[in-house]
Amino acid sequence: MQMNGGGSGSGLQSEINITPLVDVVLVLLIIFMVVVPMMLHGYDVSIPQASSQTVPAEAEMSQVVLAVGEKNCQMFEPPAGEGLPANCRVSLDAREIPATDLPVRVAEALSGRPKDQRVLFLAADDRLNYEVILRIVDLAKSGVEDLRIEFVTD
Amino acid sequence: MRLGEPARLQAGINITPLVDVVLVLLIIFMVMAPQMRTGPEVTLPNTAKPTEQGDERGKIMVTIDEKGGLWIDDREIAPELFGEGLRAAVGTETDPKVVVKADSRLSIGDVRRAMIAIEDAGFQGVGLIAKRPGEKKAGGN
Repeated sequence: MQMNGGGSGSGLQSEINITPLVDVVLVLLIIFMVVVPMMLHGYDVSIPQASSQTVPAEAEMSQVVLAVGEKNCQMFEPPAGEGLPANCRVSLDAREIPATDLPVRVAEALSGRPKDQRVLFLAADDRLNYEVILRIVDLAKSGVEDLRIEFVTD
Repeated sequence: MRLGEPARLQAGINITPLVDVVLVLLIIFMVMAPQMRTGPEVTLPNTAKPTEQGDERGKIMVTIDEKGGLWIDDREIAPELFGEGLRAAVGTETDPKVVVKADSRLSIGDVRRAMIAIEDAGFQGVGLIAKRPGEKKAGGN
């Protein structure tokens, strides 16, 4: 057979045509670039269960309660910018501390415990802003790995 | 047509690229479909280090809009039907997780009431969705 035989016979091609493969791979790349930012981010929280079985196990260690009252942290609107203002104070185990100290204080209180017993009970005033509470949860979680947050209800 | 004839003419349209494109579009829509059922637009709270919650597949998405209205996936639901709606939303999922997208202007009391209703409906724990700083939007809406 002639090379580049203009009119003679069928032009056989020995290489695989990779153009469609490249097309598909590029489109898959675009799909994943679009999907990755859609991953959800957030915090796992729960409400303490009224079960008699779990009480003895957890009662061995004292419960750490984080209370956020409306007097010490007067935040009823979403906070501007990032973080929390310095005048937001919370009480951890009945000791009043600035909210910005939470990572250190929560770590002091809970990091010595086995991972499945790191529980922080959060008692927040109902009128406080949701975003403020979530930022407090964020601060508390940033100090200790695998911290479980339980929202205490009245 | 005889062999050896110059320039072999092809009468049919080559549909291969068309099929390629259509299949790729199909894949795109299959991937996007779970993100289409997101309900109303809410301003998610902005926090420093929210942890990864995976994407929306296999989850029941509860949205609380700024007026306190409850949505399951993309349907608004009356508060008294909320628990029922949640159990209906389980469908064929085994062990679905409930994630809550609540507007940052709400009070924690509004969110906590929804959490109590979710736990009363038989789900253990919820994921409260936030967005990372710098992220314009999260969760596809």
